Amino acid sequence: MSQEPQRRPSARVRVTAPRTRAAAARSRYSVSRELAEQSELGEMFIRSLMRSQLRLALVVAGGFGLILLGVPVLMLLFPSINGMSVFTVPLPWLLLGAGVYPVIFVCAALYNRAAARNEDRFRQLVDDDRGSRPAWSAEPE
Amino acid sequence: MTPAVLVGLATVCAATVLISVYGLRLSRTTGDFYVASRTVRPWWNASAIGGEYLSAASFLGVAGLILVSGIDALWFPIGYTAGYLMLLLFVAAPLRRSGAYTLPDFAAARLDSRPARRVTSVLVVTIGWLYIVPQLHGAALTVRITTGLPAWVGAAVVAVVVVVTVMSGGMRSITFVQAFQYWLKLTALVVPAVFVLLTLGAQGAPITDGGAAFHQDLDVTEAASLYRNVSLIIALLFGTLGLPHVLVRFYTNPDGQAARRTTVIVLGLLSLFYLFPTIFGVLGRIYTPDLAVGGQADATVLLLPQRVLGSTGGDLLAALVVGGAFAAFLSTTSGLVVSLAGVVSQDLFHGSVKGFRLAAVLSAAVPLIVALATDSRALAGSIGTVFAFTASTICPMLLLGIWWHGLTAAGAIAGMAAGAAVCGSAIVAAAVGGEALGPFAELLAQPAAWSVPLAFAVMVLVSKLTASRRPATVSRVMARLHSPERADTGWRPAGPQP
Repeated sequence: MSQEPQRRPSARVRVTAPRTRAAAARSRYSVSRELAEQSELGEMFIRSLMRSQLRLALVVAGGFGLILLGVPVLMLLFPSINGMSVFTVPLPWLLLGAGVYPVIFVCAALYNRAAARNEDRFRQLVDDDRGSRPAWSAEPE
Repeated sequence: MTPAVLVGLATVCAATVLISVYGLRLSRTTGDFYVASRTVRPWWNASAIGGEYLSAASFLGVAGLILVSGIDALWFPIGYTAGYLMLLLFVAAPLRRSGAYTLPDFAAARLDSRPARRVTSVLVVTIGWLYIVPQLHGAALTVRITTGLPAWVGAAVVAVVVVVTVMSGGMRSITFVQAFQYWLKLTALVVPAVFVLLTLGAQGAPITDGGAAFHQDLDVTEAASLYRNVSLIIALLFGTLGLPHVLVRFYTNPDGQAARRTTVIVLGLLSLFYLFPTIFGVLGRIYTPDLAVGGQADATVLLLPQRVLGSTGGDLLAALVVGGAFAAFLSTTSGLVVSLAGVVSQDLFHGSVKGFRLAAVLSAAVPLIVALATDSRALAGSIGTVFAFTASTICPMLLLGIWWHGLTAAGAIAGMAAGAAVCGSAIVAAAVGGEALGPFAELLAQPAAWSVPLAFAVMVLVSKLTASRRPATVSRVMARLHSPERADTGWRPAGPQP
C-alpha cells in the first residue's frame, strides 16, 4: 500500500483488533477450501500430503542427527582424531566450530526443494482430480 | 576508552529509534502493526530474524563459554543454529499458513478452546520475560565493564529504547530495525576479529599459541558429561520451536514457501555469524584468560580488542563491539516485547493499538525489575535454561498440533502444565540445591532430556483419553495448515455436492 503513487498521504485509518478467532478463521481461499475439507477425497489428499511432508522432515532431521552424533562418537571410538590438527586447530574443534554449519545449510536447502516438490505434486493431483471430475458432480451452470 | 564507547552506544540507540520512527510513516493498519501486513521479502525478513535471534547469549555468551569450557561450548552455537533447521522442517510453512497472529491465536484456532489459549498465553509471557532478563543482564554487564557507569544504567537504557521503538512503530518498523541490527552485529564482530588477527599476524604473535589455546588445561570447568551435552542439544533444538519472538516473524512472510526460503537464508546468516564468537573465544583463551577465573568471561568479546591492539585502535574497535552488543540486546528485547505485547493486549486489552502500547510498557517493565533485583549468571547458560523450559511446554503443543489430528485441548493443556511443572521445578531445585543434590544435580540442572519426552507423553496420553472431545474443526484447520497456497483456486471437490 505504501507503493501507491499518491501525492497526499492516505487517510487515517482507525486501527482495531483483528479479534482473534475471526482473524484466525478467515482465509483467502476459504470457500473452495471448506469444500475441500468436507469431501472425504479432499481430506485424503491433505492426509497424504501431511504424511509425505512429515516423512521428509523426519528423514532430514534423522540424517542430520546421525551426522551430529557421529562427531562425538568418532572421537570416542578413535581417540587419535583428537591429536590431528590443521594449522594448529585440532580436528574436533574444526568439525564442531565450522564443519557442522555447511551440513546444516545443505540439509535445509535439500529439504526446501523436496518440500516444494511434494506440494507441486499435491497441486497436480488436485488439478487432475478437477479435470477428471465425473459428470454427476458438475455444478449446474 | 569511555568517550568512544559512549559514542558507539549512543549511535546504536539513536539509529534504532530513528529507523523505527521513520517506519512509523509506513505503519497504518492493525495488520501493519502486528505482522507488517505480511509483505516482508525473504531477505529482509531473514536479516530481521537473524537480528532478533542473535541475543546477548550469542554475541557475548558463546565466546565467554568457550573461554571457560573449551570445546564443550561449541555445542551452544550448533544448537542455536540447528534449532532453526528444526523450525524449517516441522513448523515454518504450516505456521505461516495457520493465519494466526500469535502463539495463543494458533492454540485457539487449532484446539478450538479458550482455556488452551489462556494457558498458552501465560506460558508465552513467562518465557518472554525469562528471556528478556538475560538480555538486560548483558546490557548491565557491558555498561559496567566498558564505561564504568553503574550497571543499572545499561538495563534501563535498553528497556526505555525498546519501549519507545515498539510503541512508535509496531512490527513493520521493527522489521527494518532488526534487519539493520543483524548486519551491525556481524560487522561489530568481523571488523575487530580481522584487525586483531592482522595485528597478531604482523607482530608475529601467536594466534593459537601453537595449538595450546585448544588444550583442556585452560578449561576452568570440568569437561561436560555426555548426558549434559545431549540434554543441552535437545533443549536448544526443540526450544527454538517455541520461542514467541521467533514465531511471530513467520507471520510476516507472504506465503508458506516464502517462509521456508526465509528460514534457509536465516540458516546461512546464523552459520556465518557464529564463526566469529568462536574465534573471539579461542583468542580469549590466550589473551584474556584472567576473565575466566574472575567470573567475567562474558566480557571477552568486549575487552579482547583493547588487550591486543592497545589504546587508540583498541578504543575504536571497542566502541564498535559495544555498539554491536547493544544491537543484540535491543533487537532481541524488542522482538520479545513486540510479541509479548501482541499476546497481552489481545488477551487483556481487546487488541486496540492503545492497549498494545500499554502492554508493551508492561512487557518491558516486569523483566527490568527482575533484572535489577537479580545478579547476572553466565549468559549462554541462563538462555539455555529458558530453551529447556520452552522445549518442555510450547514445543510439544506446536509439533503435535501441526502434525497430529488427535491432539485435544485437554491433552495440550495437561502436557504444557506437566512440562512447565517438572521443568520449572527442576531448574529451581538445581539453582537452590546446587551440588548438594549429588548425582541428581546434573539431571535437574539440564532437564530437557527427560522433561521434553515427558511433556510429549502426557500430551499424547491425555489426548487419547479424551479422544471423543477432539475439536470438530480439526480437519479444516489441518487443511489450512498444510495445503499449499493457490492449490485449490477454482477447484471443486469431486463427489456429491452438499
